[in-house]
Amino acid sequence: MKFFYALTRIDRRLIYLVLTVLVILPFFLKFSIPQNIMPQTKKLFDFIERLSPDDNKAVLVSIDYTPQTMPECHPMAISILTHCFKKKIPVLGVSFDPQAPGLAIEAFNTVIKNLNAQAKTYSDSIIYGRDYVYLGWKSGRIAALMEMGEKISNVFPRDYYNNYTDSLPLMERIKNYRDVSIAIILAAADYPQEWLMYAQARYGLKLGAGLTAVMAPKYYPFLQTGQLSGMMSGMKGAAEYENLLLTAGYTEETGKAEIGMNSQTLIHLLIIILIIIGNIGYMATRKQSVKRQNG
Amino acid sequence: MKKIIPLLFCLIIGISMVFQFFIPHPVSTKLNTTINKWVVVLSAFALVLGIGNLTSHHITMIKRKKSDWGYSLVTLLSMFGMAIIGLFFGIDEKSLYQKIYLNILTPLGATMFALLAYYMTSAAYRAFRTRSLEAGLLLGAAFVVMIGFMPIGQFIHPYFPGFAEWLMRIPNMASQRGILLGVAFGSVATALKIILGIERSWLGGKE
Repeated sequence: MKFFYALTRIDRRLIYLVLTVLVILPFFLKFSIPQNIMPQTKKLFDFIERLSPDDNKAVLVSIDYTPQTMPECHPMAISILTHCFKKKIPVLGVSFDPQAPGLAIEAFNTVIKNLNAQAKTYSDSIIYGRDYVYLGWKSGRIAALMEMGEKISNVFPRDYYNNYTDSLPLMERIKNYRDVSIAIILAAADYPQEWLMYAQARYGLKLGAGLTAVMAPKYYPFLQTGQLSGMMSGMKGAAEYENLLLTAGYTEETGKAEIGMNSQTLIHLLIIILIIIGNIGYMATRKQSVKRQNG
Repeated sequence: MKKIIPLLFCLIIGISMVFQFFIPHPVSTKLNTTINKWVVVLSAFALVLGIGNLTSHHITMIKRKKSDWGYSLVTLLSMFGMAIIGLFFGIDEKSLYQKIYLNILTPLGATMFALLAYYMTSAAYRAFRTRSLEAGLLLGAAFVVMIGFMPIGQFIHPYFPGFAEWLMRIPNMASQRGILLGVAFGSVATALKIILGIERSWLGGKE
């Protein structure tokens, strides 16, 4: 009985130590576990895959995650931007979370530095103002979302770098939501719902989302109705998208989400094992304690 | 009078904004554009108000040397320090502002959030016990979703990913939709109460 009792009283310091080892391990021992791709991630990938530069429309990426949720959402931003730029689809970046612009700039820079290092000609390169624009952050999110449906430069007269928005070549053809093929919201808060209510309900804008795993269950109803054209759910969604890019030949290797997913898988296994151990101990000692109470 | 004017203003703007949503006329669009611009500007003022409140609160803490007043000093120095660096030295990718953001704030934020993994693992072990049928059902669902969404779930049993996805798409979606509808109806009712002047707590004061 002492053994079962011990199962219910594992020292938390031991749990923390095992957890730390399991988080760190995949960063040193490189291994890959094949991803099973969830339908919602595939739908988002396929949507962007169907886009063509000849559509003359941009993909709007709303980067609204914060440093706290960066490990889950940043790889999503990297993957979406890589996919769009590889397909020569222009990208319009925007943020409605005040903490997000720093990470948005970092995501754009990482992707563009990587792609421009491989570019052989000027037309192959990704150029600010021609291939992408980052508009920065704006307060009054709901009003801004609605007004962008009328005219984007009304809300963002200047971009993040203080250029006049209307003076940028890309913005000569991207005036409002009619010139946007899909808006993808990468967030750790309820921003996609506001996009659904104000940008989609009123202007018919197609939407996709990249959310933290905690947020994702709330958005399944919108996937079922088709209001969301696809969704990446947590680090798993990001790893799935990385794998889809790899399979389609857009990248030569997977990114940080895949490594993070290895850590996450080991931790989930640990949690499952701990819950089983805890329950075995609980069941065994409960019978004993019930016997004691009765007898 | 102090109450009637804001209430009238709320009634007129509220009703006109509801109607303009359904009227795709240039005049309606113009009204929408103008009001949206005002809201964007007004929310910027709210930010100023927030900074003012935060500053006065922490200055009081420092002046009175209340417990942990050192944190107030750090808050004020960080806030104004970042604002000054951003305003005078730029915010582009090579700026000091961006370097501080990426090398200090980002790791700090990620570290704070990462600590959750420790608490969650420890809490799951201690609290996730099959004490009742409901707890057992919750535990079973959590197991299936966790295993199904893990990449190795498909190797444990090929049905796990599909079953986990079914749990998310059907029972989860049904309950989420119920919650969403409840919230939506509640929001409509509250909005109507505010527009019609039944709910007046937003006016503030006790008169």
